[in-house]
Amino acid sequence: MTEYESMAARQRKWMFYLLAILVLGAGFTPYLTIFLGLLLGSAVSLYNLWLLQKKIVDFTGAVAEKQPVKGIGTMSRFAAAALVVIIALRFDEYFNVIAVLIGLMTSYLVITLDFAVSHFKKK
Amino acid sequence: MGALAAAIAVGLAALGAGVGNGLIVSRTVEGIARQPELKGSLQTTMFIGVGLVEAMPIIAVVIALMVM
Repeated sequence: MTEYESMAARQRKWMFYLLAILVLGAGFTPYLTIFLGLLLGSAVSLYNLWLLQKKIVDFTGAVAEKQPVKGIGTMSRFAAAALVVIIALRFDEYFNVIAVLIGLMTSYLVITLDFAVSHFKKK
Repeated sequence: MGALAAAIAVGLAALGAGVGNGLIVSRTVEGIARQPELKGSLQTTMFIGVGLVEAMPIIAVVIALMVM
């Protein structure tokens, strides 16, 4: 397993742990709309993370083998974020919109923290 | 006016993301073309760069949809 693959697997693992905690929060606390919003945002954030990881592997592989390259999926990620916000605005009695926004940002938090931790572990 | 504000917000965010991603991707392609054996570390750098660049435009898309 390359360094990139192990990093990608580690990030997905942390996202799944976070999703499990959010499911517990939605099930056992009175803040249902907030946790459902966080859950919805984090689920789409996990999809965005997976898509980014996959697209970068495809892109760099195509560049290294001198094959024609495709995009890196920026518009797909924007569209996923827009879709989740439309869902949250449409069903605002179930989802807190600010919580959805915070949930969407969790993968970036995981990427940053994972990079910082692995960088300081190497030193 | 709300739709216009949303369009300007998303458009400027996409412009910023496009410039940022373009800089990152061009340097990565140059690096891999020069030294293909460094593909692994360049992949990691590109991943983190693209991830951080795209965080702000996604917030802009969300806020644009909220104000619309």
